[in-house]
Amino acid sequence: MKLPLSTIVTIVILAFGALAPFIFGGQPYILYVLTLALCYTIPAIGVNILYGYTGLVSLGHMGFAGVGAYTTALLMKDVGLPFVPSLFGGMFAAGFLGFLVGIPCLRLRSHYFIIVTLAVGMILFTLFNNLDGLTGGAEGLPGIPRPGNIEIGSFVLDFRSLTGFYVLTFIIAALIFGLQYILVRSDFGRSLSSLRQDESLAAARGVNVFGHKLAAFVLSTAIAGVGGAMKVLFLRAAAPLSFDMNESINLMMMLILGGAGYLVGPVIGAITFIALPEFLRVAAEMRLIFFGFVLLILARFAPRGICGAAEVAYRKLTNKEANVVRYT
Amino acid sequence: MSAILEVSDISKSYGGIQAVNGASFTLDHPGIYGLIGPNGAGKTTMFDIICGRQVPDAGKVLFHSSRVDGVEPYKLARQGLARTFQECRVLPEETCLDNVLFAAQSKRMTSEMLQVFTRNTKHRRDAEVEARRLLRLINLEQYADQPASDLSYGQRRLLEIVSCFMSKPRILLLDEPASGINPTLLNTLRDFLVELYEETKIVFLIVEHNMEFIMSLASTIIVMHQGRVLMQGAPEQVQADESVIDAYLG
Repeated sequence: MKLPLSTIVTIVILAFGALAPFIFGGQPYILYVLTLALCYTIPAIGVNILYGYTGLVSLGHMGFAGVGAYTTALLMKDVGLPFVPSLFGGMFAAGFLGFLVGIPCLRLRSHYFIIVTLAVGMILFTLFNNLDGLTGGAEGLPGIPRPGNIEIGSFVLDFRSLTGFYVLTFIIAALIFGLQYILVRSDFGRSLSSLRQDESLAAARGVNVFGHKLAAFVLSTAIAGVGGAMKVLFLRAAAPLSFDMNESINLMMMLILGGAGYLVGPVIGAITFIALPEFLRVAAEMRLIFFGFVLLILARFAPRGICGAAEVAYRKLTNKEANVVRYT
Repeated sequence: MSAILEVSDISKSYGGIQAVNGASFTLDHPGIYGLIGPNGAGKTTMFDIICGRQVPDAGKVLFHSSRVDGVEPYKLARQGLARTFQECRVLPEETCLDNVLFAAQSKRMTSEMLQVFTRNTKHRRDAEVEARRLLRLINLEQYADQPASDLSYGQRRLLEIVSCFMSKPRILLLDEPASGINPTLLNTLRDFLVELYEETKIVFLIVEHNMEFIMSLASTIIVMHQGRVLMQGAPEQVQADESVIDAYLG
C-alpha cells in the first residue's frame, strides 16, 4: 500500500513528538522549547481551520486563546476544579465568545472582518489588562496549579514535571490535530474549502455561507482557547502580554511560515517559529536579525510556506502530484 | 397542474435605472427554454432574481407553487434549483472529479458532521461512478484527477454545467453557456444538453446571446426588451415576429 506524503509526514511528526521525551530526556531546555511550541501549535491549528481552509483571516485570535486561558486558570485556581473540566470550561468560554462575535461580524466583507477581529483582540487584551479583580490586571495571574499525577499500576506520570507536562501537551495537541484531520477530510471540510475558493459558487451549490463560516469560527476560537489554557498551565502564570496583538500576528505568521491549508502546516510553523530563535541564541543580539532574514527568504522563495516548498520539491523529485493538501 | 416556475410582474431598479419592469412568464412543463434579448434588456437581473441573488422591488417568483423571491441562494439550491454563472465558476484547486462530487454531497451541516463518523462509502462509490459517467459525456474523463485550474476555459465551462447535474436539480438555469466556447466544444455542449434533457426531463432555462445555438436547442424562447417580456413562443415564431426583429434580431 502506498501512503500519501501527507500521511507519511504526519506519522513522522507524531513519532518524533512521542519519542521526544526519550530523545531529549537529559536536555530540559529542548523539551521546554518543544512544549512551548506545542502550546502554540494548538491555536495555530484553529487558525488553520479558519484561514487555511475557510479563507477567513483573524488578527485577534490570541484574544480568544486568552479567554480560554483565564477561564481555565480561574476554574483551577479559584474554583478548585480538576484539570479536564477546567480545560473544557476554557474551551467553551472561548468558543461561546467566538459565537457571539461571529454572529454580527461574519456577514462583513473580508477586510472589514479582519479589522473587527483585530479590534476584538485589542478589546480582550484591554480587559485582561484592566480587570484587576478577575485577571490580576497587568501583573497577571500567578500560581496556576498544574494537573496532578496519573498512576497506572506502578507507572506514575507527574504532570508537574517538565516531561510529564510535555506528554500532556503532546496528547492534547495530537487530539486537536486528529480533529483537524477528520474535519478537513469530511464533507464539512469540503464545504469550508469551497467557501475559500468561491463563495458565490458554494452558495449556488447549497452551502450555507454564514452558517458554515460561523461553525468554523466557533471551532477555531474554541481550539484557540485550549491552546491558551495549555500555555498558562505550562508557564504557571497568565499575563495579558501573552495574548496581545503581537501574539495574534505571531500566530498568523506561524501558520503562513508552516503552510496555511496544509494539515501539518501549523505544527511545522509553530515549531520553526518558536524553536528557530532559540537555536539562534548562539548569535546573541543578532539572532532576531537572522530570524528576520530567514522569514524574508521563505516569503520570497516559499510563498506557500515550508509545506508548500516541500510539496513543490516532492513533485519535482517524483514528477507526481503530492498528496499534502488533498483530502480525498 | 401548477407551473414549474412562474414569474409575475417582477420589477427591479438600480438607482434611477429600471432594469426589470413588470416582467412575467411561466414555465409550465419540462423543456429547454431560452431567455434572449439585447444588452440591458434585464435578462441577467431576472436570472439573479430567480436564483435569489437579487430581491425584486415588486412581483413574485413561484417555484412549484412555493414563493421563492428573496430566498437565499443556498436554500434555493437545496430545493432543486441549480445554476451556472456568466463568468465560468469551478473550484480551481479541486480535481475535476471532486468538483462534480462536491455538487452531489449533502450541504446540511448536521449530515456533513455526521458523515465524519458514518462514512457511507457505498454512497460515495455510486456517486463517483455517476460523476465519471457525466465527465465521459463531455470528454473530460481523462482529466478526472487533474485540478480544474488545468482545464481550458471551454472545458471549465463544461465542467461547471456537468457539476450542476450531480445535484439532481428540478430546474437548471444556465447563464450564457456558449460564451467563450469554441465551435467544436459548442457542438459537444449542445449534444450534451440535449442528451441530459432527454434523460432528466426537467426545465432548462438558458440565457444566451448566441442565436444559432439557442434557436437550435430551445423549444420555447422568451424575449425580453427594456425590462419587459416582449414575447414567448417557439423559435420559428420568435424569429418571424416583427417586434422581436425590430427590437433585437434586426
